Amino acid sequence: MKFVLGACIVILTVMVAGAVFFVVPPAEGLGNLVRIAFLHIPAAWVSVIAFFMSAWWAAAYLRRGNIRDDARSFSSARLGFVFTLLATVSGAVFSKLTWGAYWNWDPRQTTILVLLLIYGAYLTLRAAMEEYNRRARVSAVYSLFSFLTVPFLVFIVPRLFFSLHPTPVLNGSGSVDMDPVMLVTLFAAAADATLIYIWLLLKSSRKEEKI
Amino acid sequence: MKPSTFQGIKLVLRKELMTGLRFRAAWAAMLMFSFTSLVCISFALGGTSAEPKLFAALLWILLFFSSLAGSDRVFSDEEAEGTLMALRVYAPSQAVLFGKMLYEFFVLTVITVLLLPLFIVFLGVETKEILLLLCTVGAGLWGISAAGTLLSALIVGAGVRSGLFSVLMLPVILPVFLPAIRLTEAAFGGTVVSLSFFGGIVLYDMILSVAASILFDYLWYAE
Repeated sequence: MKFVLGACIVILTVMVAGAVFFVVPPAEGLGNLVRIAFLHIPAAWVSVIAFFMSAWWAAAYLRRGNIRDDARSFSSARLGFVFTLLATVSGAVFSKLTWGAYWNWDPRQTTILVLLLIYGAYLTLRAAMEEYNRRARVSAVYSLFSFLTVPFLVFIVPRLFFSLHPTPVLNGSGSVDMDPVMLVTLFAAAADATLIYIWLLLKSSRKEEKI
Repeated sequence: MKPSTFQGIKLVLRKELMTGLRFRAAWAAMLMFSFTSLVCISFALGGTSAEPKLFAALLWILLFFSSLAGSDRVFSDEEAEGTLMALRVYAPSQAVLFGKMLYEFFVLTVITVLLLPLFIVFLGVETKEILLLLCTVGAGLWGISAAGTLLSALIVGAGVRSGLFSVLMLPVILPVFLPAIRLTEAAFGGTVVSLSFFGGIVLYDMILSVAASILFDYLWYAE
């Protein structure tokens, strides 16, 4: 199972990298800079998935008290932190190259920064707790408590700040406004990043359980 | 026999008020911290006029750090004095949470009542909408109290406490801060904003309070 998953990831990563550098055409207005999006969007996607999954396993831990749920919640948060960092840095580089500034408080930049702060706070709290049961319990509570910010990030932040960010792949009218080759490559990149997240999660949570 | 939740809230609040009055040094430290921070801001600006947006942001930064000066001790003091077990035995969990939350709100209100006029005087801020300002501050303090009380219970038993509370608090309280800064800016004569921002803060405060109530039991009964 682990070998099959690893093999799928290697094949998919090679295919996605080949498509990004040799097949995807330059985008109108963005030129070759659009290639950053194939790292940035999947990283942002996995950041959010990891956040949801961490909260999901935190709730499961509080309900059942199973250490496997705590290990998965923690591993998901740790991976989420790394993917959020990747999304933030790649987004900032894209922002500098297209809008002239690394940071301009775009709603999506704000959202990802809040997510980074939550992940950072969660990991700091965990590091500060010495006793195992207490550590698992308080981090599960914090994971769920910080999850309350999601409606704010989705509904309020976009009303607070002006956005220069390109429209999402699936825009407000429900239509997809993207070159078909780019779209297929983007979905493949997102699937690849999700598989990498699952593979690392399985590996990391098993190690955590043993500790 | 444990009292009812409502009776318990009253008793816990009374206990907190009496303990708070006994430890006047803690009050003095909190008030002096707030005042010193205000003086620092005033010195830094040096009497120069600034945009309402900057004043609004400075006011909320001041309120946030003032709240940090006392909120992290809500449960840590009980732990240090060995009274947590007595509270567990004699009071329902929800009475402890809401009693402490109300006390926290009271402390922050007292600090704000003293700090806000000084802020307006020292920085020469012109307040155009006093009712909007008071409602916004009230709603903001509610959120800080609700989140602060639960997070204070979280850090009991933490090996490193210095700075941990603020690290945990900021991401959770941002949904209160950002709209509150916009509303305060409007109250100081800046850009007019929709009152739905105020509704958003109150709604988030309610969600924080309900979530704190649900999650607190997992902390309280686990020890």
